[in-house]
Amino acid sequence: MLIKLTGGTVYDPANGVDGKKRDIYIQDGRIVSRPQDVQVDQEYDLRGKVVMAGAIDMHTHIGGGKGNIARILLPEDHRADPVVRTAVTRSGSGHAMPSTLVTGYRYAEMGYTAGFEPAVLPVNARQAHMEMADIPILDKGGYVLLGSGDYLLRMMTAKKDQQAINDYVAWTLHAAKGIAIKVVNAGGISAFKFNQRKLDLDEKNSHYEVTPRQILQTLATAVKELGITHPLHVHGCNLGVPGNVETTLDTMQGIGGLPMHLTHIQFHSYGTEGDFKFSSGGAQIAEAINRHKNITADVGQILFGQTVTASGDNMRQHANHQFANPNKWVCMDIECDAGCGVVPFKYRDQNFVNALQWAIGLEIYLLVDDPWRVFLTTDHPNGAPFTSYPHLIRLLMDRSFRNDMLATIHPEAQKMTTLGSIDREYTLNEIAIMTRAGVAKIIGLQDRGALSPGNWADITVYSDDPDREKMFARPDYVFKDGELVVRDGQVVKVTWGTTHIVKPDWDPGIEKDLQKYFDRYLTMKLGNFKISDDEFTEDGRGSLTVQPTRGGAL
Amino acid sequence: MSAMTFALKHRPAQRVDMSPLVCQRLEGLDPADIAAIELINGKRKIRVDALFSISGSDAQHIVIANSFAKLDFIGRELQGGQITVQGSAGAYLGMAMQGGVIKVSQDAGMFAACEMKNGYLQIDGNAGDFLGAALPGNKQGMKGGTVLVKGDVGARAGDHMRRGNILIEGDAGDYCGSRMTAGTIAVMGQTGRYPGYAMRRGTLLLWRQPMLSAGFNDCGAHTLSFLPILFASFRGLDSRFADAGEAFNRVRRYGGDMAELGRGEVLVRI
Repeated sequence: MLIKLTGGTVYDPANGVDGKKRDIYIQDGRIVSRPQDVQVDQEYDLRGKVVMAGAIDMHTHIGGGKGNIARILLPEDHRADPVVRTAVTRSGSGHAMPSTLVTGYRYAEMGYTAGFEPAVLPVNARQAHMEMADIPILDKGGYVLLGSGDYLLRMMTAKKDQQAINDYVAWTLHAAKGIAIKVVNAGGISAFKFNQRKLDLDEKNSHYEVTPRQILQTLATAVKELGITHPLHVHGCNLGVPGNVETTLDTMQGIGGLPMHLTHIQFHSYGTEGDFKFSSGGAQIAEAINRHKNITADVGQILFGQTVTASGDNMRQHANHQFANPNKWVCMDIECDAGCGVVPFKYRDQNFVNALQWAIGLEIYLLVDDPWRVFLTTDHPNGAPFTSYPHLIRLLMDRSFRNDMLATIHPEAQKMTTLGSIDREYTLNEIAIMTRAGVAKIIGLQDRGALSPGNWADITVYSDDPDREKMFARPDYVFKDGELVVRDGQVVKVTWGTTHIVKPDWDPGIEKDLQKYFDRYLTMKLGNFKISDDEFTEDGRGSLTVQPTRGGAL
Repeated sequence: MSAMTFALKHRPAQRVDMSPLVCQRLEGLDPADIAAIELINGKRKIRVDALFSISGSDAQHIVIANSFAKLDFIGRELQGGQITVQGSAGAYLGMAMQGGVIKVSQDAGMFAACEMKNGYLQIDGNAGDFLGAALPGNKQGMKGGTVLVKGDVGARAGDHMRRGNILIEGDAGDYCGSRMTAGTIAVMGQTGRYPGYAMRRGTLLLWRQPMLSAGFNDCGAHTLSFLPILFASFRGLDSRFADAGEAFNRVRRYGGDMAELGRGEVLVRI
């Protein structure tokens, strides 16, 4: 079966193609060079249409226990947004935290073909993967959460050498089937359990006597030495605290040139100036990102409306519970591993803090020069549900629309932001970088995010429309692995994506000590903790794709 | 003009969402339009005239004849007028009603008067669990109006109740008045276990001694002059609550629930 996509205007930054007319051929699920002497079975006339690779969300909370806690906490979120079945899709519900099937359909209907869950707790990894296995169409993967677990912190207290820590990190990645390592409030989730209510970058966890800075350095080194493509994925200290811009700058500086990804950096870019002691650190952060080439970031843009925040950062979620809207929240301990906090939020444009948060996120997007190092996220659902991406893209691409919106927010917030003076408008090529090519590169997806021959044919086709929100909300066609899954913004075929993982090497000897540790301290046995490959494939629709590590070893 | 009557022709196996059949949504519609309204019936839709024979033309007085326990959401968000249910009503009877009158000749299912805002709801039989409560996950239950139940009610009557009166001639189930923020629940019969569980404010007015939990403190016997005024307000009701012989002003007062704000009260007739 040979499919030809004829005459579309292609934006494929990975191959340096910026708005050129190209024909694309698809055979057996992959993009191929123009074949000789083969009959074209199906042709799509894409003249005048915009063609990009399928979009990839690098940071979206779509699997794991916190999602289910949010669903239980907010039945009204599901009641108010029912989705009826169609001939090909099943029913579901939910706005801020949709059910799994609806998550997959809605992503695909916006032209997304992959999403990565950034907080897979190793002890809950099986549930997270099972939940993601129920999300149709999308490829997925998980970043394994380390940095507040008892075992790692014990190793650091005991001053175990870097090699031993590397082995533990690689073993955990293997056991929990992850593609990257995530740190949430390094050491802080653990410190919360020892009654610390804040933890600065150089403040010691009162029990383990290690600091967040040491944890970040140790894990960033492990990630680099293991050859994992995605840099250490860091949710920093002091999320949401006015004045945390200093902590964030210090975190960038303190990593000593190691690759590091700072996630939802908008929440970490607050100063303490002005009458309300809350100001924008957006310009400083963007300038620091521009200067430190080892740093990448996603923004975690907030957009106004009802959502729910779900995070492993129980320390900060506990501190923010007073802002819960509606007034109900959950914080919990996850064994020796981590924690969890779920707090519903309603971001309001007439609230000074929310309005300024909105402006800070946009400042960062617009002031970071290099679109290869900043990525489009709302930290779904924490800043806004992922369904608001088309709106966010319009804010980035359309200055007059942005300024119209700016004029409607809290007047004091308007005075505290430079947003109105920023002229930059993202181009289609830059959007393709920050949602496709750049994301595939930073996560280390070998054959996705670009339209190169040999790649899997994840392709999205849009009708060019000056209203970018309309354009990105409703693609004409979406192909996943070469199959047409969406036509005119509606799912027409349901397929099942693969799960991306990495497999760095480790010394199997590490299991001797882990075995003793599990038997003594954890409710789960070591043998059950490790997820086997079969668990992904035995239902007949899931699969594992191993992405290469830098050492070349699989 | 005679009352607009929907007589059930047969009892469907699956539940029916009756929310389109309220006075304000039928006012001014042609009979053909009303007949063509689609109701959700289980996972299918069914036309009104496939389920009911329709007669009468006064949309301000709707009668549902031969009603039974699978007709849900009767009188949802009713703004005015009257709905008379001959037979039983299903779940969510009078949910979020804003005004008007609903009368049911037999029983009602769970979540009757759920998040009701105003108006009058009378159930001549029994009511299920969560009478006058909030929907699961919501923080505010009934916010106004009066509910009268002549029979018994299930558990959690008045859960998260905020304002208004719930009058129960029979017995109440467990957790009566749980998590109340304000409002009044009067029970002539027996109450079950944990009455007033986690109540913050509000009043439980009881004719019989309840089994109170440790979160309630005995505040002694009182003569309360507001009680005759309260009973006087019930005088127009078709109920034993209107009977002067049932009124009293001498009560033992218990304050609680001390596990919560503790400003609620349980008043027991002495």
